[in-house]
Amino acid sequence: MPNWLEVAIRSFSVIIGLFLIMKILGKKQLGRLSYFEYILGITVGSLAADISMDIELDLASGITSILIWLLFPLVISLISIKSKRFSDFVEGKATVFIKHGKVMEDNLKKEKYTANELLEQLRKKQAFSFADVEFAALEPSGDISVLLKKEKQPLTVGDVMNNVPSIREPQTIIMDGKILDEPLATHRLNRRWLKEELDKIGVTPENVFLAQVDSFGQVTVDLYDDKVEVPPPVTKQLLLASIKKCQADFELFALQTESQTAKNMYTKNAEKLTLIEQTVTPLLKN
Amino acid sequence: MTIASQVKQSLASLKSIHAGFQSLALTSNDEDVQRTFHEMMMLTEEIIEDVKTRVGQFEQEEPQYKGF
Repeated sequence: MPNWLEVAIRSFSVIIGLFLIMKILGKKQLGRLSYFEYILGITVGSLAADISMDIELDLASGITSILIWLLFPLVISLISIKSKRFSDFVEGKATVFIKHGKVMEDNLKKEKYTANELLEQLRKKQAFSFADVEFAALEPSGDISVLLKKEKQPLTVGDVMNNVPSIREPQTIIMDGKILDEPLATHRLNRRWLKEELDKIGVTPENVFLAQVDSFGQVTVDLYDDKVEVPPPVTKQLLLASIKKCQADFELFALQTESQTAKNMYTKNAEKLTLIEQTVTPLLKN
Repeated sequence: MTIASQVKQSLASLKSIHAGFQSLALTSNDEDVQRTFHEMMMLTEEIIEDVKTRVGQFEQEEPQYKGF
């Protein structure tokens, strides 16, 4: 068989083989960037290239070699799950560089890090002053993880509001113009509801390129025609405004009415409305 | 005496608020959020009952306020 054909067949087989093995190994192997996995990647790449090109090489030996290199970390991972001691020995543990704001010089020396290198790594994590750092550790992957002191951390929603509602992830329900039934079902909705919502905005499903539904059931769409303006969903804001208006009206009625029972009724209900308003504002305010 | 039409308007708004809570309770994803909207819907129902009673009262006292 002509050389180029043989090379083509080999290359093809190696690509498919590698792909299948990567699928078996799973996402962890591809994601982790520890030193060993890095070398592994380079070696396997080199092996794959040699097998593809070099017709002198015995195909069986080549494949065996790749299999060993790729399955080895898989075996290590499996054993690591079973035995913590093994895992610590192979993967290593994080080394603490800064604890409670104090730099651990002995640990730095142990990992052969100069103070300059430490500062460089901190800057990479946006910590320009080591006074801002509460805790920093060197991970087995070589990366440094930095925990800033609480006063230097950015504000969170929980700091500003109490009773923050838990808001779930949005679901993409129309992608590339096609309605996706599974995300709809996850949200306990169906196509009929979707059609109604689209009617409310005034678009047909065929015009929609992309649509997402948020945790409250509000739909945001992107149309194929970018010149058309789609109004943003305002149901929540309108509801909140309505509540506020009713509350103000009731206070007015309480003032206007002459009957004492009516006054009491309006006042009591104005208070109820204030309670409702306070409860739902974090949910509706967006 | 408060203007009856204004009170009726508020009643209509309240009904729409009630419907808003109901539909949000149905389409929301998270159980806690659903529960909150449901509770608010019940509270709104109570308010609606009170207002309906009041409207009933002045429809009796002054028959010209009956209906729309």
